[in-house]
Amino acid sequence: MSVLEVKNLTHTYDGNTPYMHDAVKNVSFSIEKGEIIGIIGHTGSGKSTLVQHLNGLLKPSDGEILLDNKNIWENPKNIRAIRSRVGLVFQYPEYQLFEDTVYKDIAFGPKNMGLTEQEISIRIKEICELVGIKDEYLEKSPFDLSGGEKRRVAIAGVMAMQPEIIIFDEPVAGLDPMGRASVVKMIDDYSKKYNATVLIISHNMEDMALIADKLLVMNKGELALFDTTENVFRQHEYLKSIGLNVPMVTQIMLSLREKGINIPNDIFTVEKAVDYLMTFVKGGNHNA
Amino acid sequence: MLKDITFGQYFDNNSFVHKLDPRTKLILLILIIVFIFVSQNWISLSILIAFVLFSMILSKIPLRMYLKNLKAILPIIIFTMLINLFYSGNGEIEPAWTLNLFWGLKITSIALIRALYMIVRILLLIIASAELTYTTTPNSLTDGIEKLLSPLRFIGLKKVVHTLAMMMTIALRFIPTLIEETFKIMNAQKARGADLENGKLLQRIKALIPILIPLLISSVRRAYELAEAMECRCYNGGEGRVRMKQLKYCLKDYIAFLTVFAVCGLVIAINIVF
Repeated sequence: MSVLEVKNLTHTYDGNTPYMHDAVKNVSFSIEKGEIIGIIGHTGSGKSTLVQHLNGLLKPSDGEILLDNKNIWENPKNIRAIRSRVGLVFQYPEYQLFEDTVYKDIAFGPKNMGLTEQEISIRIKEICELVGIKDEYLEKSPFDLSGGEKRRVAIAGVMAMQPEIIIFDEPVAGLDPMGRASVVKMIDDYSKKYNATVLIISHNMEDMALIADKLLVMNKGELALFDTTENVFRQHEYLKSIGLNVPMVTQIMLSLREKGINIPNDIFTVEKAVDYLMTFVKGGNHNA
Repeated sequence: MLKDITFGQYFDNNSFVHKLDPRTKLILLILIIVFIFVSQNWISLSILIAFVLFSMILSKIPLRMYLKNLKAILPIIIFTMLINLFYSGNGEIEPAWTLNLFWGLKITSIALIRALYMIVRILLLIIASAELTYTTTPNSLTDGIEKLLSPLRFIGLKKVVHTLAMMMTIALRFIPTLIEETFKIMNAQKARGADLENGKLLQRIKALIPILIPLLISSVRRAYELAEAMECRCYNGGEGRVRMKQLKYCLKDYIAFLTVFAVCGLVIAINIVF
């Protein structure tokens, strides 16, 4: 059964003005529980607008969003309850930190859900363990942390609400390789522990190849492709035509293929590439 | 909502008013504002009304924009009207009629006319000022102010004038950026379950803290970044700076000056005659 379904979603910005345009046009798809979905698309393709509908920050101009087969706008007064079930981590979430301690900042979301102090402290302990925030950090000011640490605290602030669906808008933008790896691991760990559904907007195809089960490709406000990661990356020529790319290692493998070397066209991770190249090299030696 | 604020916004167009020198527009606006208060009767005021309407048409800005602006100051207009309606008109002249209301409040014909007179004055004031910002880019506006204030250099205030003008340019430039940033932070906190729409006054004020603090922090960060970027481009105050576009009065400006002078003269003449 699908946990989240988007039906004919259209969003029009600046209606009735000269600037009127459709940011999202007639998009439909459905997502199963526990899936990790990557959302890719060129800048301005409507990715951010799309995800802001999923937790009710934006109201569809047309179409509907079904969460467990119920329209989220059925009762507009309940929209805050929807937001605690569908978490959204914005781009550069560290810029929304505001409390004087890390603990209080992470507690902001759970507090808004109306949990008791005790429940909140249990949740914070649980989430900090999961994402690797040490106890001594909890009493520090979030503004004294490094960029990567701030990002982790901000993400933990949304995760502490324990949403069943969690959406990330460019979660690794502007981080160093280590920070990136730790954020990707956080997301993966969270989805495993709570069997949560995850949607990630990213421009980083390598990360997508690593964790996404399926890819949703947006182009000029329309849904261009929605398929398994392998099937989407196989269409590298189409992706290129709408300004997107396949992972670096796939590009290398493809150009080797063009040179007449017999390598399959669906290698998306470095590990797989190494395997193929090793068998190829060994095979080559054997022939000689 | 914040998005509805049109005052201080620039609307690109290629009208007569757009092409005027910003200094011309500034000086003429001040003149018009002064004469709105100099005018003492309906006849002289109607000349100003006609002139402002005429300049509105010349500006080619849709009437809708002006109306949107007026909507925002509606409370002020209503307040002024009520005050004038109830507390003026107790002069020596016998009013044509008097309407007695509850609690001893009464409206006289003189008070009604005076209240209308005040409202028309405020409307003219707002429309004329809005027209200046609608038709002048923030940059040329500050250029104009800097140029107009440049005589202050004779009393050793050259640096001050330039700094003020630069501050104004930067402030105007960052208004849209800050509005966008505010929306982003509001959405981020809403996604964390913040309730900004409901609750009592005190709760609502408290709900603003998670928005104001990040906004303040990012403004300070932006200011530092901007200062660094300016220094990297060798900015060191107004010393030795030259402009690519020099401000120059041309025929249009002289026509505008003459027209406004004529209007002002007419207002004075009518004030004396009637």
